[in-house]
Amino acid sequence: MKSLARQKLFKSIIHWLLTFLVIVYVVTGFGITEFRTVEALTLGLLTKNLAFKIHNNLWIPFIILLGLHIFLSLIRRRKKVVYGL
Amino acid sequence: MRKLIAAVFTLSIFISLIIIAINGCGGDRNMDETEELEPAEIREYEGEKLSSINAFRENSIKGPQHIDIESYRLKIRGLVENPAHYTYDEVINNYKHYKKVVTLDCVEGWSVDILWEGMLVRELIAESSPLPSTKVVIFHAYDGYTTSFSLDYIMGNDIIMAYKMNEVALPSERGYPFQLVAESKWGYKWIRWITEIELSDDVNYRGYWESRGYSNTGDLDKGFSEE
Repeated sequence: MKSLARQKLFKSIIHWLLTFLVIVYVVTGFGITEFRTVEALTLGLLTKNLAFKIHNNLWIPFIILLGLHIFLSLIRRRKKVVYGL
Repeated sequence: MRKLIAAVFTLSIFISLIIIAINGCGGDRNMDETEELEPAEIREYEGEKLSSINAFRENSIKGPQHIDIESYRLKIRGLVENPAHYTYDEVINNYKHYKKVVTLDCVEGWSVDILWEGMLVRELIAESSPLPSTKVVIFHAYDGYTTSFSLDYIMGNDIIMAYKMNEVALPSERGYPFQLVAESKWGYKWIRWITEIELSDDVNYRGYWESRGYSNTGDLDKGFSEE
């Protein structure tokens, strides 16, 4: 039971991290293509160069999190089928 | 009665034909006059496919600039014996024109193949006789944008300052009156709306994006981000 709760928590963390990453991906993407607007909105914090650096380095954590997200969903689905959970 | 109707019908057809003939011949229009329209861009040059002049993404620092060509002057100043101020026509008419297909690669990931036509920057600079201490060529734009190159790059390559792309004059949003065709450099080195060419010995000079972390050389075969 404890392990199931832990698994749920882990899944939830992955889910929220993935959501956060997708948002960062989109925002930094705009930080590149619409840099004038994004720089003004972030009070100069997210510059085009910084957006580039973040955007270009996000794909590895994104793929890892996406992989984990899919993997955990598959495990849960399998458990549902096998144990009727 | 039938004859009268036939006569009226024939007469009306005859009159109609005369009217059509007069209008069809153009009436008072003078067909010998030819009005020249704005040329359309070409999309192929010597068998090479070209991108459209509208295929660019707008990514300038202050949006497209609209320059009044009557008051426009191209300044060549700094470490030169003869500083110069040229009007647009003086640049166009006093220097030899060159054309070349060059690809612009933007750091954002897109690229365009364009036929550029303009003057060689080294010929413009040579006219002002650079001093021996000159090491850097700094370009200034109307919107405050700047970028720089080593003098060796400018003098050792056929670097064009373009006034035409795909056989049409540069539109305002593409850098009218002049855009630099910085061959083998990232797009941020292709300065638009050029107003000034400054010769300097300041090797530490950094342009707009260069002072914000982009590579100073901007070489295409290297990354654009300076570590």
